Amino acid sequence: MGLLFSRMFASLFGNQEARILVLGLDNAGKTTILYRLQMGEVVSTIPTIGFNVETVQYNNIKFQVWDLGGQTSIRPYWRCYFPNTQAIIYVVDSSDTDRLVIAKDEFHAILEEEELKGAVVLIFANKQDLPGAIDDAAVTEALELHKIKNRQWAIFKTSAVKGEGLFEGLDWLSNTLKSGGG
Amino acid sequence: MFSLFFGLYKYLFSKTEFHVLIIGIDKAGKTTLLEKLKSIYSNLEGLPPDRIVPTVGLNIGRIEASNTKLVFWDLGGQPGLRSIWEKYYEEAHAVIFVVDAACPSRFEDSKSALEKVLRHEDLQGAPLLILGNKQDLSDAVSAEELARYLALKKLDERVYVFEAVSAYDGMGIKESIEWLVDVMERSKRTEMLRARSGAIPGYM
Repeated sequence: MGLLFSRMFASLFGNQEARILVLGLDNAGKTTILYRLQMGEVVSTIPTIGFNVETVQYNNIKFQVWDLGGQTSIRPYWRCYFPNTQAIIYVVDSSDTDRLVIAKDEFHAILEEEELKGAVVLIFANKQDLPGAIDDAAVTEALELHKIKNRQWAIFKTSAVKGEGLFEGLDWLSNTLKSGGG
Repeated sequence: MFSLFFGLYKYLFSKTEFHVLIIGIDKAGKTTLLEKLKSIYSNLEGLPPDRIVPTVGLNIGRIEASNTKLVFWDLGGQPGLRSIWEKYYEEAHAVIFVVDAACPSRFEDSKSALEKVLRHEDLQGAPLLILGNKQDLSDAVSAEELARYLALKKLDERVYVFEAVSAYDGMGIKESIEWLVDVMERSKRTEMLRARSGAIPGYM
């Protein structure tokens, strides 16, 4: 699997530095996804300003992960991680229906960021293995994905613990970035 | 002062941007069409057909044709995803409805999906281009035959045409897009959208 992934993303950006942000509320499964992809060691850093950023460097692509929601005072510091972002992978816990509204609000707020305007969006409707998980169509509705009109997006049902759906999503991502992106 | 003249300049010379929806049931060839449009009209290569997977969201293509800027919204066609189409109607200047002309067993599905599209009030007056796709396959029906199969009613006031195309080899695509640009430029809907978006076209 790791091999397949490396073939997919090899030379995608040439020698250019690229960034893919993996975002979502806490407990959505973001770190589990990174481990599943087996691209390298996940390095966790807590900058002095106090929010936890996990990074996986894969060739010239940096995958960076942090939790949305919570403290608003640290948000301005997120912007340090926005430049050169080609894609956002937004991870949702499909079984946590109580917090879908928050997930939606946080999602649209981040899409408003000027420096992320050109990034394509891949949504993982994660935790499909759990009872009570809603499907991709329902997550699409809950996140109001139709409001996105200026960039490409796609949604995939995933189970990070079982490793399902992740590669289909990343396949879409690499194809989309190859064919010119958003 | 400069900005005033610049505004006038932009008003006179900027190109209008048209939003075109590409919809139709799954496996009709919408994304293949989008990628073909990219490779015909822009310097982007476009994905080869064998790399295209079912769309579960929105693909976008921006091209320039006949001195006009076109933005294509290609939406997924699987039954569970069709509910999202209507969210994009309000801002669309025109609709391309793609049908797999080589698969008569699904014409009925296409027909009911298209009839639902045409009933929606947010699409009032939007020009309609119906593509009988996959003409590269030997058993594809012609545009006329497809029109007979779909037997659409209540089309009288809408500008529409049936065209036979192949998104695979490009047959008929340029002619279809030329037609579309031409009717969009003259359509009342374009005027309406322009008025709604804030009076002066292109001046933003």
